[in-house]
Amino acid sequence: MASLGIKRKRVSKKNKLAWRKHSKVADVEQFLDEQWEEERLGAIEALPDDQLFVLDSKPDKATITTRQSKKLRATRPLKGFAALQPHTSVPDPIKKRNRVQTKEERKSDLVKKKELDDRRNGVLKLKEINAIAERRLYELKRDKKEKRGEFNKDVWSEEADSVLQNDPWAEKVTKVHNLRNTGVPVKNRPIKSKSLLQVIEPPHPGTSYNPSFKDHQDLLRTVAQEETKIIKEEKHLDRVTRQMFRRVTSNKKDSEWMVEMSQGMTNKEEKEIKEEPEDLDKISINPPVQNKKKSVQQRRKQREQLTLENQLRAKKLDKKKIGDIHTIKVLEKDLQKLAKKQEKLREVRKIRAEKNKLKPKVLSSTKFEDYGPDFQMGQDIAGNLRSMKKEGNLLSDRFKSLQKRNILEPSKRAHYKKPKVKKYTKPGHKDDWETTVARRKITSK
Amino acid sequence: MVAKRKKKYSVGEGAQFMTRKAALKKLQLSLNDFRRLCILKGIYPREPRNRKRAQKGHTGIKTLYHVKDIQFLMHEPLIHNLRDTKVFNKKVARAKAVKDKTKLHQYLENHPTMPLDNIVKERYPTFIDALKDLDDCLTLCFLFSTFPSLAHVPRDQSALCRRLTMEFLHCIIETKALRKVFVSIKGYYYQAEIKGETITWIVPHQFAFEPQHKAEVDFKIMSTFVEFYTFLLGFVNYKLYHDFNLFYPPKFNNMVQNQNDQALVDEAAFLSERVLALNFPISKSNDVFEEDVNIDDFVSEGDSEEKIAEAKKEAERIRKLKTLFKGLKFFLNREVPREPLVFAIRCFGGEVSWDKTLFVGSTFDENDESITHQIVDRPSMPNQFISRYYIQPQWIFDSINARDLLPVNKYFMGEILPPHLSPFNDPERDQQYIPPEERALYDPTLLEQQHKKDQEAINKGDDEVEEDEAKEVDEDAKEVTTKSKLSVTKGEVYKEVPWEKSRQEKQEYRLREKMVKKKHKKLYKSMMEGKEKRAKEIWLLRKKRRLHDEKQAGEKTIKEGKSVQKKKY
Repeated sequence: MASLGIKRKRVSKKNKLAWRKHSKVADVEQFLDEQWEEERLGAIEALPDDQLFVLDSKPDKATITTRQSKKLRATRPLKGFAALQPHTSVPDPIKKRNRVQTKEERKSDLVKKKELDDRRNGVLKLKEINAIAERRLYELKRDKKEKRGEFNKDVWSEEADSVLQNDPWAEKVTKVHNLRNTGVPVKNRPIKSKSLLQVIEPPHPGTSYNPSFKDHQDLLRTVAQEETKIIKEEKHLDRVTRQMFRRVTSNKKDSEWMVEMSQGMTNKEEKEIKEEPEDLDKISINPPVQNKKKSVQQRRKQREQLTLENQLRAKKLDKKKIGDIHTIKVLEKDLQKLAKKQEKLREVRKIRAEKNKLKPKVLSSTKFEDYGPDFQMGQDIAGNLRSMKKEGNLLSDRFKSLQKRNILEPSKRAHYKKPKVKKYTKPGHKDDWETTVARRKITSK
Repeated sequence: MVAKRKKKYSVGEGAQFMTRKAALKKLQLSLNDFRRLCILKGIYPREPRNRKRAQKGHTGIKTLYHVKDIQFLMHEPLIHNLRDTKVFNKKVARAKAVKDKTKLHQYLENHPTMPLDNIVKERYPTFIDALKDLDDCLTLCFLFSTFPSLAHVPRDQSALCRRLTMEFLHCIIETKALRKVFVSIKGYYYQAEIKGETITWIVPHQFAFEPQHKAEVDFKIMSTFVEFYTFLLGFVNYKLYHDFNLFYPPKFNNMVQNQNDQALVDEAAFLSERVLALNFPISKSNDVFEEDVNIDDFVSEGDSEEKIAEAKKEAERIRKLKTLFKGLKFFLNREVPREPLVFAIRCFGGEVSWDKTLFVGSTFDENDESITHQIVDRPSMPNQFISRYYIQPQWIFDSINARDLLPVNKYFMGEILPPHLSPFNDPERDQQYIPPEERALYDPTLLEQQHKKDQEAINKGDDEVEEDEAKEVDEDAKEVTTKSKLSVTKGEVYKEVPWEKSRQEKQEYRLREKMVKKKHKKLYKSMMEGKEKRAKEIWLLRKKRRLHDEKQAGEKTIKEGKSVQKKKY
């Protein structure tokens, strides 16, 4: 206590009253009480559990189901009308308070009687008649609606076919006039030519769950061949792209960029030395143009030169024409060669087109990629149905098959990009007014 | 006056094609709706001859559609349906957001539906067209029937697929249309023949659902395909059932629900469970149906007698195949995949059952003494019956593919199985050399022949004695025939030159060869040369093999002779 430095207040306890008032004996008394209790009843530790504890088997509140509680709630007055209820239990001093009567209350006895009679006799109001008619119509419509998964008609029955639709003699106008809004198309759509590929490719015998050794080896060989092709292609791409350039660290690249970009820039000192005023004429590369006129003689000579040149050219052309007569054979040969070449090209193109028929067409910017055949290595083949391992995904196989048969365009999954959220603190929540330069220094230390 | 200059790309390829974006704008649809519409209507993107011209001068690759196709889509009433769906979705979303329960119920009760029956008819004008295109439909429906409810897939789609596929299987069972089965690592390949159309489909293995990677497959698109295919399969089922005098939806004879069962499941669930069991014959509307059609004897111009004989043989074999398992009783152990085996066995007239607790629809108990085969896929069993064979499931599939009941000894329980070969052989295989051992694997009758040959080689010594006896008997018979004499003068026998017929045929063949168009002449020539070359190779290899075998046989006999001699000494 002394260590805390707080001094206890001293009080004199010289008489009985002061003693009783100031001496704290509550803890002693409690202890004594407990001891007495223990002596009377025995120690708690000695008592068995079932005397100490009671099993709580009944709920405090009677449990009701949600359904029951909902029913209960429905019987209570609405919460919204609580404000209309008197909040005191003092009775209303005005014994007979006037109240607006409801429409039902306002009706005379005669009208009430008539309505009752009408209802008994089955005379309905127009509103009710309409309601009944509408309900019937709605039910009819609902029953007529085809249910999902219920197939109870023959789509291909010949009765469903319209005679007019396939009549070769009927005019189009007639067809349109008679078939419009009947659900029968005016003209049959021709069936499209399909891909040459089979819908379900015959399985390779090596894909059997228990293949013969030879079939399995065959399959593995084809797979390996395709794999080596891919590896070769990858190697080639690596060689012509990545390996063509040297690799540097980003730091080095930055520094090199700095050096490169500052190439040809002069130092400040050099600039200062160079700056000397010079004569403008000497600096210019092109000397100023002077308009010098040609003399008559010069003009004549130029003209003569030109005519002579033309004459020579014409002569040369004439000579060439005569010479070309002798080269007809060569020309013919050239033409034949060209024709032959083109013939060959045409054939090659034809063959290529034939080959491309089996390949998927280019339908989108994404290239079609095939997964290749499914296969299992020898150690995975169990040889019995029970412990067989499954290989390949049938769904992706179907998906790829659709793409291969030009039904779907190959596409990449459009990734949903999470929008960037800019984070900022609300102006009122900023606490930078608290920070001072001095404080920051302290905290940083 | 100069004629007005034509705008570029207003005619020709530029006017024929339309980019996808332009199509969206023209149809006033969202991309998702457009894709859905295209899949339902069977309209696919096209590849132009000249891409730059088709894209109106734009470079790069865009997805193009025919303008005519898009115009065709414009008249489709389904577009209104799609728009209704859009409005409906918005209304529902709003009702949900403001928690307006009454309106929400009202909307959901009246949700717009998409009737696709017109489209099925439009895309497949005849029933045969629909059957031709059933491969994709069946494979996808079988696949989706294994799926749980997934995002982008309607909640009831997988259940619908399951129901429809099972109904289809029932139809196959009733008509005995199954021809080939192949168990691959990917799934079960089945091939059936309905109305002359071969239909192939794949059923995935029955394992737990395998989660699909989103990045690989667009589920929404596949689900749209399945939506259309469920309609197609439903109508095909209806038509097939009615054509084969069956009730659709399937009904069963003498099947009454117990009082106890009625308390547990309602009638619809009870029935659907029996449909899934595949083990009860569906009731027929009348029993007149018999599909035995005799092949006409008269020869049409196109096919020769050989072809007809071949066709007849094939028909006979198929008739035999249809009753392959008739009179056999199978019991499936619980480790065996139930569905494919029940389907395969019932297709060929067998009776099947399984453990009562495995699945509903078992008809007899394991203790039944009349069971002929029990199908097991475990190495051993403690309690076995002597009256039945314990075989592995591969026996069923191999027997079907061989079109005959194979000897069971190779397929006994715990035995290492012979390879399961694919019945889907390519025709190229005929032009390859196949060693006799391998050929025997495909054709068990050859195996027996091979076996006999080997036996003969062993018993050659005994045979010689027998042959002598046979000769004597022949001579006796000759004497008997010579004794009977009739007083008839010798007539001129018309001598048929034996090679004349073949010569005639050859000549005709050569004439026919001359009819090959000039365009295909080169191709034909190279084809025939190749064929000849391959045949020569096969002949050579066979000859080598024969010589080798003979040599070995000779060595063997010499050895045996030596050993006999040694013994004598």
